[in-house]
Amino acid sequence: MSVETILIVGGGISGITAAVEAAEVGYNTILVETNPYLGGRVAQLNKYFPKLCPPYCGLEMNFRRIKPNPRITVYTMTEVENVSGQEGDYTVKLKVSPRYVNEKCTACNACAEACPVETSNDFNFGMDRTKAIHLPHEMCYPMRYVLDRDVCTDSSCDKCVQACKYDAIDLSMKPETVEINVGSIVYATGWKPYEAEKMDNLGFGSVKNVITNMMMERMASPNGPTKGRILRPSDNKEVKKVLFAQCAGSRDENHLNYCSAICCMASLKQATYIREQYPDSKVVVSYIDLRTPGKYEDFLNRIEGDENITLMKGKVAKIEEDPGTGDVIVTAEDVEGGEKIYEKVDMVVLATGMVPSVSEDASLNFEENGFILAGKSPGVYSTGVAKRPSDVTSSIQDATGAALKSIQSLVRS
Amino acid sequence: MADKTVFTPDMKFVRELREAGADTMKKCYQCATCSVVCPLSPDDKPFPRKEMVMAQWGLKDELVKSADIWLCHNCNDCSKYCPRGAKPGDVLSILRKSVIQENAFPKFMGKIAGDPKNIWQALAIPVVLYIIVLAVTGHLGIPEGEVVFSKFFPVHYIDQIFVPLSALAVLMFAISISRFWKNLGGSSEMKPKAAFLPSFIETLKEIMTHAKFRKCDESKDRAVAHMLVFYGFIGLAITTAWAVFNLYVLQWESPYPANDPDIVALFGGSETVPMIIRVVFKIFANISAVALLAGGGLVIANRLKERGVETVTSTFDWVFAGMVLLVGATGMLAQMFRVLDFATIAYLTYFMHLVFVFYIIIYIPYSKLAHFVYRTVAITYTKMLQRDVEM
Repeated sequence: MSVETILIVGGGISGITAAVEAAEVGYNTILVETNPYLGGRVAQLNKYFPKLCPPYCGLEMNFRRIKPNPRITVYTMTEVENVSGQEGDYTVKLKVSPRYVNEKCTACNACAEACPVETSNDFNFGMDRTKAIHLPHEMCYPMRYVLDRDVCTDSSCDKCVQACKYDAIDLSMKPETVEINVGSIVYATGWKPYEAEKMDNLGFGSVKNVITNMMMERMASPNGPTKGRILRPSDNKEVKKVLFAQCAGSRDENHLNYCSAICCMASLKQATYIREQYPDSKVVVSYIDLRTPGKYEDFLNRIEGDENITLMKGKVAKIEEDPGTGDVIVTAEDVEGGEKIYEKVDMVVLATGMVPSVSEDASLNFEENGFILAGKSPGVYSTGVAKRPSDVTSSIQDATGAALKSIQSLVRS
Repeated sequence: MADKTVFTPDMKFVRELREAGADTMKKCYQCATCSVVCPLSPDDKPFPRKEMVMAQWGLKDELVKSADIWLCHNCNDCSKYCPRGAKPGDVLSILRKSVIQENAFPKFMGKIAGDPKNIWQALAIPVVLYIIVLAVTGHLGIPEGEVVFSKFFPVHYIDQIFVPLSALAVLMFAISISRFWKNLGGSSEMKPKAAFLPSFIETLKEIMTHAKFRKCDESKDRAVAHMLVFYGFIGLAITTAWAVFNLYVLQWESPYPANDPDIVALFGGSETVPMIIRVVFKIFANISAVALLAGGGLVIANRLKERGVETVTSTFDWVFAGMVLLVGATGMLAQMFRVLDFATIAYLTYFMHLVFVFYIIIYIPYSKLAHFVYRTVAITYTKMLQRDVEM
């Protein structure tokens, strides 16, 4: 008889889905997440495509399903340290890092006001700063502050503790190891953006007004660093002409040898952010192929209908800064027109691809691009982007499938 | 649609390109990164992206008319940034070889000299020819006494072989090039805007300074190697012309004695002046030969060197690089053995030298060396079209 519990590694949209789906049919699930909040990459998005609704809508519904369900246990700031055993009876060691803030937290912000230390905000890709003690983001689940002890400059500082009226901050918290027993495991470890600095011809890091697509999501989000206003980084100027450079490092044997599946739709979606915010703005999307399969073609047709959006076949291969104005000069060959074009734009968005977060683990099998195939032993599965590059919709469908597979594994063993 | 363009892929041409080493071309997915990173590509109708699709589709008729493939100096910036490993640099190099063969007159010579598989036949022709000439004239054998090459293979015989054959090669080359020029003219809707002569002079200046070659980012060192070979060849051509002038105009049989009364009389009784001229001549010839050798060696070293980008040198290129090196090496060695008085080996090396010189000169319209004319003509033409990049 197997242990009737499923471990789900990764608390993004795929992991949450798998956990909720399995729990709602009567199986115990343990959801483990390294961040101090659930929601993963989806939590960072401004809008979903193609419906252009806010992702938090979907996430909130899932949080609402997690909260009252006694079968779901959530660990944040937790990593899987070791897995041993076999299908039906795995022993997993979890390492839980201290949050220094307990469940008494009411998210009143008094601690952050008292905190003297500022640090770069990773949630917004360093585009703004937070205090050492901060709320990961406005809508986070669990709704609880977190203290980044590594950036505290004075280890004896307890200003946050003094400021907290609820006795919610505990600087004596220590890392803990938790051992759990599970029947099957689902890896929903997701992805990280490809490092745009690696493309030495695309200027990221040296040309100030070159950002990535994920930075654009944060910039356009109402809870982002600019409160949703799309402003270029060098001088906070409103952007009147923006170019999207597709396949920035994707489908490229020197970088990511595969298509990340979402960047075309993401850029077309982001083009609407700009067009909505600035009615007189112009957008150029420079692509190799526009991959908008199935019903996404309708979305592409809508975008094509906007005369201020130009879709140009030809990959951007050179990006330079105009030193006087901070404008960005982009060179590409317009393949259909048969000539090189030099576009001068306010800002460039690099459509960077997805890199699997976990691409090394002795207990797992990986495919050629580093995505997880499955565990080396039975009863271990992968889902979402951990398994293959995919959009939110397909990830959710896949996660439901993974929930069923893991249940079958429990029943089988 | 009112206008219909019908492309007829030449599958045989595609196969030939792939066999010659351009097998990566099918990987190209037309992203046009290459056209942008190329430092030599013009803004209007840039290359090599369009040539890649033409090659994939087997549009031989279009490619033989292309001047652009000759603007490429094979620096491989394109291959470095190519996201698919399609190696546009290598593909264009093979396209150039195909164009040389395509324009070759007579065609079968293009096949013999253009296909590296035929190298042994190509070398056997001069060997057989020389042996027949030597046998018929009763010179087959190693002469006694001091090593004097003209005792072994009289200069007059050499000239009687080389002068008419070279003239023939020049004629064939002229026909090939006139075909090429006609193809270039029929290539596109673009019409020349500038006159021939100024464009030609501009091109020569550019070639002398290697200005285009030095624009390459990925492989600047190749410009140095090429320059050495280039000036080595020019130096040796001058040397040859000098010797011919001495022999046929002044009637000084090489090696002419500096104390020959006629020569001394020519310089107002001074033995020193002809001696100095002779020494200068020798030094000049040797410097040219060393440049050729050093350049040839560097060309090969550069091709073998890891350049951060994997490129394939076609056999066609290797044969030519090897031949350049062999001409230089056998020439130098023959001279060395002659001075050291190693008769047999000196004569044999000299014989080999003549074989390789034959290869270089007689096959000039069909070998890689033909590029010096094709490229000059194509660059001149692009300058007439005014579609060249700023230097």
